[in-house]
Amino acid sequence: MSDRIKVKDISKASDQMVQINLEDLPPLPAPYDKVENLPGFKRLTEQAKDKYDGSLDGVVAAGLPKPQSKEEEQELVDKFISGIKKLFSKNNNWGFWQPLVLSMEHCARCQTCNDDCPVYESSGHKEIYRPTYRAEILRKLYYKYVAKGTSIGKKFQHGDIEVNWTLISRLYELSYRCTLCRRCAQTCPIGVDNGLVTHELRKLFSMEMGIAPKELHEKGTVQQMVVGSSTGMNSLVVKDNIEFIDEDMTDRTGMEIKTPWDKVGADILLLHNAGEILAWPENPGAFAVIFEAAGLSWTMSSDMVGYDGVNYGLFYDDVQLARIAVQHFEIAKKLGVKKFIMGECGHESKALGVIADRIMAGGIPRESAMTILEEIVFSGKIKFDPSKNDFPVTLHDPCNLTRAMGIVEPQRRILRYLAPQFREMAPHGVRNYCCGGGSGFAIMNSNNFVDWRMHISGRKKFEQVLMAFKDEDPTANQPKYVCAPCSNCKGQMRDLFDFYGAKEKSGIHYGGLVELIVNAMVDIKEPFIDFDMM
Amino acid sequence: MSVLHILSYLTLAVFVVLVILRMIRIGSAPVHLRWELYPIPHETGARAKYGGSKMEEVDFWTKEHKSNMIGELKVMLPEIFFLKGIWEYNRSLWTGSYPFHLGLYLIFINIALFIFAAILSFTGSQIGADQAGIGLWLYWATYVISWMATVIGTIGAARMLFLRIVDDGLAKYSTMSHYFNIILIGAFYFTGLMWVALDPNLVENILSFFIGMITFSAMADFPTIAYVHIYIGLFFAFYLPFTHMTHFFTKYFTYHKIRWDDSQVAPGSAIEKRLAEQLAQPVTWSASHIGADGTKSWLDLATWAPFSDKKEEKK
Repeated sequence: MSDRIKVKDISKASDQMVQINLEDLPPLPAPYDKVENLPGFKRLTEQAKDKYDGSLDGVVAAGLPKPQSKEEEQELVDKFISGIKKLFSKNNNWGFWQPLVLSMEHCARCQTCNDDCPVYESSGHKEIYRPTYRAEILRKLYYKYVAKGTSIGKKFQHGDIEVNWTLISRLYELSYRCTLCRRCAQTCPIGVDNGLVTHELRKLFSMEMGIAPKELHEKGTVQQMVVGSSTGMNSLVVKDNIEFIDEDMTDRTGMEIKTPWDKVGADILLLHNAGEILAWPENPGAFAVIFEAAGLSWTMSSDMVGYDGVNYGLFYDDVQLARIAVQHFEIAKKLGVKKFIMGECGHESKALGVIADRIMAGGIPRESAMTILEEIVFSGKIKFDPSKNDFPVTLHDPCNLTRAMGIVEPQRRILRYLAPQFREMAPHGVRNYCCGGGSGFAIMNSNNFVDWRMHISGRKKFEQVLMAFKDEDPTANQPKYVCAPCSNCKGQMRDLFDFYGAKEKSGIHYGGLVELIVNAMVDIKEPFIDFDMM
Repeated sequence: MSVLHILSYLTLAVFVVLVILRMIRIGSAPVHLRWELYPIPHETGARAKYGGSKMEEVDFWTKEHKSNMIGELKVMLPEIFFLKGIWEYNRSLWTGSYPFHLGLYLIFINIALFIFAAILSFTGSQIGADQAGIGLWLYWATYVISWMATVIGTIGAARMLFLRIVDDGLAKYSTMSHYFNIILIGAFYFTGLMWVALDPNLVENILSFFIGMITFSAMADFPTIAYVHIYIGLFFAFYLPFTHMTHFFTKYFTYHKIRWDDSQVAPGSAIEKRLAEQLAQPVTWSASHIGADGTKSWLDLATWAPFSDKKEEKK
């Protein structure tokens, strides 16, 4: 069925455009190569089908409730069309107007980008997952409602598309079938960016129609601005949790660890993804150990939003992104710090380090943790024994750190020094594959989306991890470490390895970079990385 | 002045004006948020190869960073002249796309040579097979390039048409204009090939066209196929600025001004002033959480304390 799908079919009501069958997907390496031994792909429940339109691919990630009347349906259509117009207005979308219009007007439809998309490839080349599929829909809408020209001329050059509820509901879901990794954009000979197209579609839905996945909006940016963190931790809770982590670090390292809070005039404001504090407490703990051992002047902030570097606005809403970035800047200014250090979080680093650069021109400088960690490791301030990390290690490159920021080598130089069995994945660096949890997917678990995330968007990365360790003892007897210096990527790794049973079957574990650094410290007697506890 | 003169001048004027207007439209677009994509070839040293950035350095904003424009040229020139990106990532398409484009490049080289020859002829130098020196060299160069351009271009157009029809991915995303464009350009090449093959006075006739254009004087009486070729070419030049084929110059923006634009905003810079103006623009997005009313600006909305009612509820 999917082979016959055309762009205009997005508007044609049908039970389901695409059916995902595990037999159609490219096989994984052994021992994950037998479909019958893999977890199945859950179908939507009848309850979910009643509430949401699952007719795109039988998966509901974002979940737009079905309209209850013709009037409601028409209202959605009208809002959608007004959103299309605003997306291409300079006032409303100055931040991306130029790249978006260029991508709309100059694509040669050569399809060169398709094979670079891990989702398209891992789906067994399902038509709707081509990077060009959703871009072509938006292009037709752009020419239909925005671009100047005669109707005949525009149809001749770009074809036509019918706008109805079916298109809107499917396109909304489809905007959450791309991880915004922008690998496709790297290979476009014209410079068209289909990752940007996905980003802009999500903005249209959020900023005009007020619809976005609850994990990103209600539980994400809104909760962050209401409570202080997308994790739901308020200031008191986060300080309590960090105090507990400090105590644990003190016990495990023998060093007196006490995280400084709200220290005016400190050199560094350390901004973690607050998810680390709850899910991987050893990560902020290891940062504290390293910073204290190196004698840095640093602080964390207990102000609202000031202890959570998460900014999911990056994935779906420019205004929400700007609001959170502005608060981050205000807090740093209030503390009078010299710079931010952005913890192990890719999207935080991109949002604050790159995107916010032209929102808060001349604001407090921002720096990725990778650079300062490299400086510390090679400064001689801390003694290391690399043999303490003598187990197979590979590195996952977070897209936002590498492809979007060009921070590639500092983490590698650390690993080459501190991890004797470090090896690269193929490909790596700026040509890496996304973990499959990018653009917010790692925290999106509605309905059967997790199965899609594990079987399709994460498939390529899982294959890469297995191949990186192909020359090792394949069993769990040999623990293996995937270093993923990004919170969202770690969330995806956790889910992937649990889903496939990779820890039990292959001894594959994951963690951050700082944990490896602390594990190699001479002054710390007990192993910081304990594979039995991971 | 003949109809051919008038149409040629008109087409040239339309082409130039429309391309300039399009450049102005894109060049004067609002300053966009940073959306760079690595590798960025104006990085220096090893970073240009592995895709590193200045952000790999501690306190990078305090250091002077040089931009290596030669690095950008090293990427752009192979991309423009050899379509390197398609060669690397879509080899099958390259077998059609490259000759398709190369034909045009050769025609542009020939146009430049003929304009040079026309100017040379005003000094009394003659161009021809029976001449010596530069006159002889120009004769054979333009003659050989005429053959090469039209043969290579015709093969490229045929291959592109074949791929657009038989390749599932290309066929599904091709509109009527894609086929029309290829057929149009293919017809331009093929009629050019016919002219080259059938006209014993080819070089003299083409030179006569350019001399006539430059001096507003009468041109030679061309074979019928030559008129067909020239009118197709004129229509193509007139039509091109209305299509996606303007990527021949918009690539400068997509590469240099977006993909490779990693510049930070310096305090007091022109960009900072433009950004301040953009942030002062009113916003009309309709979603309730945005809080836009048509008068509030981007800055108002970004610094507005939203969700205060929810904060109260939490308390």
